[in-house]
Amino acid sequence: MNDAPPEPTSFLYPFIDAEERDPEGLLAGLVASARQKVGASVRLRTQTLAQCGDELSAAGAAMAARFARGGRLFAFGNGGSATDADALAARFRSPPWGAALPASSLVADRSVITALGNDVGFDLVFARQLIAHARADDIAVGISTSGGSANVLSGFTAAHRQGLLTVGVSGYGGGSMAAGGDVAHCIVVRSESVHRIQEAQDAVLRALWASVQAALPAARDGARSPRRRGERAGKGGEPAGESSTRRRRGAR
Amino acid sequence: MKVTDLPPGAIGHDGAALMDGAAELAGTALVLARRFATGATLWCVAPGASHHARHVAVEFVHPVIVGKRSLPAMALEDGDDQLGTARLLVRPGDVLLAIGSADDPAVARLLRRGGAWGVETILLAVGAAPSGPSAASADHVLWVGGSDDGALLAYHLLWELTHVVFEHPGLLLAPPPECTDDDACITCSDEGRVVEVRSVTDGHTAVALAGGRPEQVDVSVVDDVAPGDLLLVHAGVALTIVEEDDR
Repeated sequence: MNDAPPEPTSFLYPFIDAEERDPEGLLAGLVASARQKVGASVRLRTQTLAQCGDELSAAGAAMAARFARGGRLFAFGNGGSATDADALAARFRSPPWGAALPASSLVADRSVITALGNDVGFDLVFARQLIAHARADDIAVGISTSGGSANVLSGFTAAHRQGLLTVGVSGYGGGSMAAGGDVAHCIVVRSESVHRIQEAQDAVLRALWASVQAALPAARDGARSPRRRGERAGKGGEPAGESSTRRRRGAR
Repeated sequence: MKVTDLPPGAIGHDGAALMDGAAELAGTALVLARRFATGATLWCVAPGASHHARHVAVEFVHPVIVGKRSLPAMALEDGDDQLGTARLLVRPGDVLLAIGSADDPAVARLLRRGGAWGVETILLAVGAAPSGPSAASADHVLWVGGSDDGALLAYHLLWELTHVVFEHPGLLLAPPPECTDDDACITCSDEGRVVEVRSVTDGHTAVALAGGRPEQVDVSVVDDVAPGDLLLVHAGVALTIVEEDDR
């Protein structure tokens, strides 16, 4: 049996069997794939901003009212969304134009994150920080591509309970973030690709920041005028955008 | 306020730069995959916007698509002596990815050392379209557009394409460098090279890194050579110190 031909094993390695050594075919495929993805990314961003324009304006007006009353923003998320939270807080503090506003990222302090994650569980790393830091005038912005990150959801629950304005950015079909009752303004990027969702969420967060800047002068005038403050007290002290959103949510 | 009323630049890039740069992006992904296949680490810097560097790291280390392999990528944070940290951590054969303006001195300082350290360099250039000489140059320059959100799309694509290359194991083996008598190549011609000084032995000699390896350099014709300086070397003799903004 020693002179029997060896068993062919090349079927296990079809690419090696094909002696694929010339990258030109692959490169052409990669170029086509890259262009297709760039097109998909830009289209999704454009669609999302068009569909969510009203919600973004309402969220921006409500956030501006909070900032005008001395509120602060807390941003949170995991992984790539954690870097989005960092970037959002930095954009509010050091804006390319407009007013600098108080904002913190709840993923910025790795000592706090690891202490909470290790001692009480990772599901509570944002909730515990919000319980410690937040006041009723503040704003919570949570970011999740799935809308189902347990620690982002529990952060919103803690924030809502303390009277914070809650703004969520989600993906896919919105997930629990959109379905639950803790998020006053939920902006959903409707896609099945995590990468394309993140790219559109980045545009959403920029638009959210810009709509806060646009609404801020009027919100500051409103906060300064005693007569107008009296008028708004009848509506719970919230601008029209926020109240109408809550009514819509209640109706669903 | 309508989103369409927002000032230009508020929402970011329109994808045009990356459409045009798709071929460079594909070539960069092939090189990156080949480097990973030989054990490289991808080092990421984004001076002034280090969240991008952290995003690249998490993208490669913890893929969002189940079943894709974890690849070694690390962010080099802004702050105390980013250049010195990179010098200690980066190994020959690694890849250094910088995100930022081609005119940013912090970006340029790192990328200029690619040859001396023996690393492949990639620049995701944010800002005006590159034209004419800029402070930073790299083995692979991808212009992402005027807004830094183009960088997010660029490194997402780089990750996606790199994993496509991994599905073609025959192509992960880089072809051997071509070097013939007719065709001068950088490693065997007497062309000038940029090296980085590690230590100065005396007024005449220094030890410098060239292609990631230490070698002796004659520094008798240049003054005030210090560790960290870049030298232009020809046939073992330093001709000049490369001027840098912070020197």
